[in-house]
Amino acid sequence: MEKSTETVTWGVRVRNATGSVMLPLMTFVILFAAWELIVRFMDVQAVILPAPSVIFAELFTSFSFYLPHIGVTFYEAMVGFVIGTVLALIGGVVMSQSRLLERMLLPVAVLAHVTPIVVIAPLFMIWFGFGTFPKILVAAIISFFPMLINSTTGFRSVDESNLEYMRSLHASRWEIFFKLSLPGSLPFLFSAARTCISMSVIGAVVGEMSGASKGLGNVVMVSANYLQMDRMFAAIFLLALMGILLTNAVRVVEKRFLAWHSSGH
Amino acid sequence: MSYITIKDVHKRFVRRGQWTEALSNIQLDIEKGSFVSFIGPSGCGKSTLLRIVGGLMEAEEGEIAIGGKSPQELLKAKQFGFVPQSPALFPWRTVLQNMNIPFEVNRQKVFNSEEQGDPISLLKAVGLGDFVHAYPKELSGGMKQRVGIARAFATGAPILLMDEPFSALDEITKEVLMHQLKQIWEEHKKTVLFVTHNIHEAVYLSDKVVVMSARPGRVSRVIDINLERPRDEAVIGTPIFNDYITELRESLRERWG
Repeated sequence: MEKSTETVTWGVRVRNATGSVMLPLMTFVILFAAWELIVRFMDVQAVILPAPSVIFAELFTSFSFYLPHIGVTFYEAMVGFVIGTVLALIGGVVMSQSRLLERMLLPVAVLAHVTPIVVIAPLFMIWFGFGTFPKILVAAIISFFPMLINSTTGFRSVDESNLEYMRSLHASRWEIFFKLSLPGSLPFLFSAARTCISMSVIGAVVGEMSGASKGLGNVVMVSANYLQMDRMFAAIFLLALMGILLTNAVRVVEKRFLAWHSSGH
Repeated sequence: MSYITIKDVHKRFVRRGQWTEALSNIQLDIEKGSFVSFIGPSGCGKSTLLRIVGGLMEAEEGEIAIGGKSPQELLKAKQFGFVPQSPALFPWRTVLQNMNIPFEVNRQKVFNSEEQGDPISLLKAVGLGDFVHAYPKELSGGMKQRVGIARAFATGAPILLMDEPFSALDEITKEVLMHQLKQIWEEHKKTVLFVTHNIHEAVYLSDKVVVMSARPGRVSRVIDINLERPRDEAVIGTPIFNDYITELRESLRERWG
């Protein structure tokens, strides 16, 4: 009995892995092959669009050039993500507990969200210089809002019946929060975290593009100025890859924590 | 000897800008260790009365004493086992972890260990021995409700408040759960306040049935069910059982007009 269920889950796992890794991979292989063929047979110039083979060759031969830039962008994005989401979680707790504070704080958050971050980034550069700090700040601001909204909604969306049950045990406010509201809102928090983590990479790059000496955003800017298209595309690929890997890292953690939740499968 | 004494209780709500009387002049005595059902049409305030006795709501007027103490005092001391209509299981906890919630919160107040039931054997008693480590999403509606009932008996709370625990279930499941509840109750002898819509359930389970009427919500009759204990399914359909059903149905019909 147990053995057969084990083989079944194993089979499902293999099929899921095939579906979630192999199929998208195949699409990319086809896409790159088409790209390669178009560039070769239509004789597209390398300053317009380099072939994937050229981009990958550049990437692998000068990987040591990219490595520190990857590190800087990754660092800025991660620190910004952590600061932004932690502050948003605190804001979510506060706003879910008090409608008054929500009415006071939410407009500020909305204002910060609707103002295009691209126009704020140069300001931070003037204020805080060319270092990593203004980039971290941009990444933090851009990943703040989705987490704020989702955590407020999540902490509020407590099942009435479960809440009444906790009250019937005379559970304290904190017990209700940590035992009921917080675990119950994890699906909301993870879905926001997936958005925020890719946003934080965008934030770091936007920061770098408005003035920096390091980071993949800076590589894109500089190579665009010199029409080094292979280098520019290599940096773009690396950024895309970083976004994919980070989003999937969140997904892996989510799966571990949300086995009880239907979307966790 | 009265254990729960309800005296002159009134409860009002604001509905469409006007005060409506949800409960009017409720008088009731409930003995320790008895099973009391509350039956009546929707809006008769039976769930409200249950929540007032359990300290979850407050009455504007009147007095409730449970062994000489107020509902709030008992609530703070974790003396109630609450079984709501939806089973109140946390989806991220297994069945056994859900059984443990009452022990994890409000920890400075501990349950009377002599009155506690063993969680595993209670789950076995309701037929969930194989689902101890299952998550709620793996259970049917009836199974979830059984966990809620088993949990109430496991805590050691002397008073159990059940708010239509079977009303969302199909007839067959309802029947099975009714027998299981009666079985556990006869073993543990807690004081149970049981809100229901079902006449059959009320007669089979109760020592006393409180018939309520709506607008304003009031107690219209209290019927003692003098069927022998322990009861079994053989009692269903006997002339005396059917007499109680008829009596109850008629007193409900009178009130519905």
